[in-house]
Amino acid sequence: MAVRGFDEAEEKKSYGSVFLLGSALLVVLTLWAFWDDNFTRRPWKKFQAEFHRLDYRKAREAYEEQNKKLQADPAYQELVKKLAAERASLKSGESARKLHSLQREEVKAAVRFTELDQEVKFIKSELEEGWYEYDHAVQQGRSTKPYEERIQQLDQEAAKLQPELEAARQKRDELKEEIKKVQAGIKELEAELTKVAAERDKWLRVMENATINLGPLSFYKVPTIRQVVLEEFDRSRFDQPVARVDRCQSCHLAVNRAGFEQAPQPFRTHPRREVLLADNAHPPDKFGCTVCHDGQGAAVNSVRQAHGEVAYWEHPLRRGAKAQSSCTSCHVDAQRLEDAPLLAQGQRIFEQIGCTGCHLVQGYENIPKIGPSLRRVSAKVDPTWAVRWIKNPHELRSRTRMPNFVFKEDEAVAIAAYLWSVSKEEGEKWLATRSLPSGYREGDKDLVGKGKNLVGSIGCKGCHGFAEGEFSTPVGKEKDLIPNLKDIAEKAAPRWIYHWVRNPRDFSPDTPMPSLRLTDNEALAITAYLMTLGKPANGNPNLQKQLEDGKNIKRGESLIRKYGCAGCHDIPGMEKESRIGVELTTFGSKTLEELFFGNRTDIRQTWDDWTMHKLKEPRIYATPRVEQVMPQFNLTADDIKALRILLAGFREAKAPTRYRADWNPRAAQVVEGRRLMQQYNCVGCHEIEQRGGFIRKYYENPALAPPPLNGEGEKVQSHWLFGFLKQPIPVRPWLDIRMPTFGFTDEETNRLVAYFNGLSKVDIPYAYFEEWKVPKENLDAARSLFSKEYFDCLSCHQQGERKPEGPQEGWAPDLTLARTRLSPDWILKWLRDPQKVQPGTKMPSFYPGGPDNILGGKDDRQIEALRDYIMMLGKGAPAAGSRKVASR
Amino acid sequence: MKKGVSLAFAVAFTGLWLSQVWAYEGGSVKDGGTISGVVKFKGTAPAPKKLDINKDKEVCAKTAKSDPTLIVSGGNLVNAVVSITDIKKGKKMEPQKVTLDQNGCEYKPHVLAFSAGSTVEVLNPDGILHNVHSYSKANSPFNMAQPKFKKTLTVKIEKPEVINVKCDVHGWMNAWLFAAENPYFGVTDNSGSFKLADVPAGTYTLEVWHETLGKQTQKVTVKPKEEVKVTFEVGK
Repeated sequence: MAVRGFDEAEEKKSYGSVFLLGSALLVVLTLWAFWDDNFTRRPWKKFQAEFHRLDYRKAREAYEEQNKKLQADPAYQELVKKLAAERASLKSGESARKLHSLQREEVKAAVRFTELDQEVKFIKSELEEGWYEYDHAVQQGRSTKPYEERIQQLDQEAAKLQPELEAARQKRDELKEEIKKVQAGIKELEAELTKVAAERDKWLRVMENATINLGPLSFYKVPTIRQVVLEEFDRSRFDQPVARVDRCQSCHLAVNRAGFEQAPQPFRTHPRREVLLADNAHPPDKFGCTVCHDGQGAAVNSVRQAHGEVAYWEHPLRRGAKAQSSCTSCHVDAQRLEDAPLLAQGQRIFEQIGCTGCHLVQGYENIPKIGPSLRRVSAKVDPTWAVRWIKNPHELRSRTRMPNFVFKEDEAVAIAAYLWSVSKEEGEKWLATRSLPSGYREGDKDLVGKGKNLVGSIGCKGCHGFAEGEFSTPVGKEKDLIPNLKDIAEKAAPRWIYHWVRNPRDFSPDTPMPSLRLTDNEALAITAYLMTLGKPANGNPNLQKQLEDGKNIKRGESLIRKYGCAGCHDIPGMEKESRIGVELTTFGSKTLEELFFGNRTDIRQTWDDWTMHKLKEPRIYATPRVEQVMPQFNLTADDIKALRILLAGFREAKAPTRYRADWNPRAAQVVEGRRLMQQYNCVGCHEIEQRGGFIRKYYENPALAPPPLNGEGEKVQSHWLFGFLKQPIPVRPWLDIRMPTFGFTDEETNRLVAYFNGLSKVDIPYAYFEEWKVPKENLDAARSLFSKEYFDCLSCHQQGERKPEGPQEGWAPDLTLARTRLSPDWILKWLRDPQKVQPGTKMPSFYPGGPDNILGGKDDRQIEALRDYIMMLGKGAPAAGSRKVASR
Repeated sequence: MKKGVSLAFAVAFTGLWLSQVWAYEGGSVKDGGTISGVVKFKGTAPAPKKLDINKDKEVCAKTAKSDPTLIVSGGNLVNAVVSITDIKKGKKMEPQKVTLDQNGCEYKPHVLAFSAGSTVEVLNPDGILHNVHSYSKANSPFNMAQPKFKKTLTVKIEKPEVINVKCDVHGWMNAWLFAAENPYFGVTDNSGSFKLADVPAGTYTLEVWHETLGKQTQKVTVKPKEEVKVTFEVGK
């Protein structure tokens, strides 16, 4: 009878096949898991293995090549032979015997010394014990006598052993020296051989680095993750500092190694490695790669993941020039980064084309409105021209910075109507007291000719163009910073022009246009010339009525508000308008969800594509329901690229302080000062920071052009520069071109001085020349050097009232100015090598090669003496080359 | 960094050395021919312009000077340089030692031709300050003072180039250094004639250069041991 619950058939059934299947599955799965874990998910292992092979092969080839060269080199062969002979001689024969006996003796001596040394050490320990017992006895009030005796005895023993120990040490050392002497030949030869073969043997180390050597066996190194951890570099969602892990160099193994410039990626050497990855720049073992290039540094599962080119990863890889975007997260001053030219260009365009008029960006808040003030526009501009201009400025001047808002005719009229209504009173009041002088005769040939000459000579062309295609300072590739005046007669009337050129700030107190200190006649001549450029437009007879139409005025007002004209222009009644565009401070970290593509399906869904199309065609994403008002700037593709690089760097996250580069007040001062400098367009005439001096193209003789100001901070004294900027005095009287009077405020002037000082890294802006320390010997020597017998300085240099011979353009600056103008240290540098300080200067090098009979023929002492003397000149020290010397 | 720079220099210098070696190969010429001829001035010769000597007159104005930038003598052009531009092999090119004299505040000769790699010795017998300012691009520019006590200065011109030299102290002083890339060059004399000897047989491009009139070329075929006559006509 069957037992309850016991099923015999079940008992007899075999589950063997299920178990077999199960265990087979388990094995397979285990293997698969192992494989997946170790290979499929670790593609970097393959890369690393491949690199080790590449590295080893290259090193081996290099080694063999060097080896061949060495083997063919007789000097090397000779060394090898000599070394072999030397070694052989120490293996047998007389010297070998001598060496052996020396070595044996040395062993004995060493043993003897060690034994004695040990003994001395024991005695010292016993002494310690004795002193302990002694102290203990004193404290317990027992007799100390036995201990004193013991100590004395031990001291004596030690004293007795000391000379023996010394003798043993000496003997050992002597023997050592002697052995060294016998082996010296070998050592020397070996060292020499190492030096000769260094070029070859360094490859041995490279090979060793790529392999693991176990006795006779040699394997390629086992791939391992190579990661850089940047402590506290990032911030978590809870704003807590977290480390950034960067594993890029697990595959990109040669970024910081020379010799892989042509290797395929991921093994290529980083471009400009010597500079960019140098220890004082961005050593990759400290900074990793993602700091500049983004991507998903910690990901190692696939190349796409590691590069961050997958959905929802917000910072995809920045290849090539795009890495420049990252510079601003650590560097304050993008303009000085030699390796980020596109970023610098983008920043200049951004600051100068008016982006900040509509968009707020932290760090760019204080850039003033870039357009002219319209407070008195009715007194300045012909209304017909104004309407055309508002409608489409590019049609009148393709290179203007003013963008095209694509207004219709009636909209343009409405805007003009508002502008005229609010500027009329002020404009008329201004005009009322400013009439055109009676001497003005339109088209007068003499006057026009004189005006044309003035425009060409006093520096107007440092800023303005006067014909199609003529320009000075560009913004981006195809825009002008400053208006081209080729058709100014269409725009303005002679009466306004005359008063404007005489004193621009009288009409518009905030204008960057400086005064050229024109006389009335000069202003008149320039007015006459300007009136020949273009023809006054035929007025629309209805326009006046339209401008006065209240409906138009009202409509104009709302248009001006809507399109944000007050972002660039000072417009009465719009003082409280704020920027109409979105803030761009963190624009670079916008995700795709935050970018509005409208109905455009033809544009790739990336930040870069969105931005490129937006800049190219600002209203491209408009739909019938969503209006867009950003105007058309007509920028070139290159400019758009530069802007994109800047914009991509507008991010919330800045690197923590310890990773930042020039995060100091000085860098900030340079940035501020440069902005001011650009606003006043100093680079139109002067080359500063190796950029600009655009007016120089008009000069055949560079000596007649405005001087370059590279290194000006180091050259001139701060208080002189301050005074000169406030009120320029002629330093080079032979120049026709005039340094204008800008009417800088004290604050602005200080900013400019700090800028020049910051650029030249002048730490101590005010230095005092201690003239009482100047030895008389120096002054006497310098007087001789100054004279006609030697350098004849006054052959070209002016000295106060004493003028050089010959035409003015051959003259050089007044040396009496040096005392207050030049930095004493700079004078030394200048005298040593003027061409190095200012390439192309007329000032020839007098050194090396000063006369032998002055100050011992020492160039440096002569240069110092000349400096001392020059610093005294302005004080009225006896003039060198004074008549007495000159007539000799 | 330092290593990189020195390496770059090494590469640059090797490149330079190679380019010089490859550009022209000198040796012995057997049965060479001669190119000779005249450079004629097309048009009416301008009247010689007197130079305004406005400085250091006691030394510089001893002799009257005329503008050297265009000298036409008997309808022929003086101070033009005729050279072969495309010769790769020919007579030996050896560095020369040539002299540029400033006697009386005037460069003599006004046009000085020599092969690249030569040394120019600049003389100052005037006893006043001169300076020698070169406007060169291929060679590194120099501007050296030559005060009274420095009777001679030497400069080595390494690379082929036509270099303008001026004295900033005396604005009228102006000279040209013609550093040729091969030994086939000649400056036209007072009769506008020139002669290039020992030219291996072959067809070459002959070029005439003049500071104000620019360049002109023509093809010329040289036969062994024969003299071929060439006439250039250069005008504004």
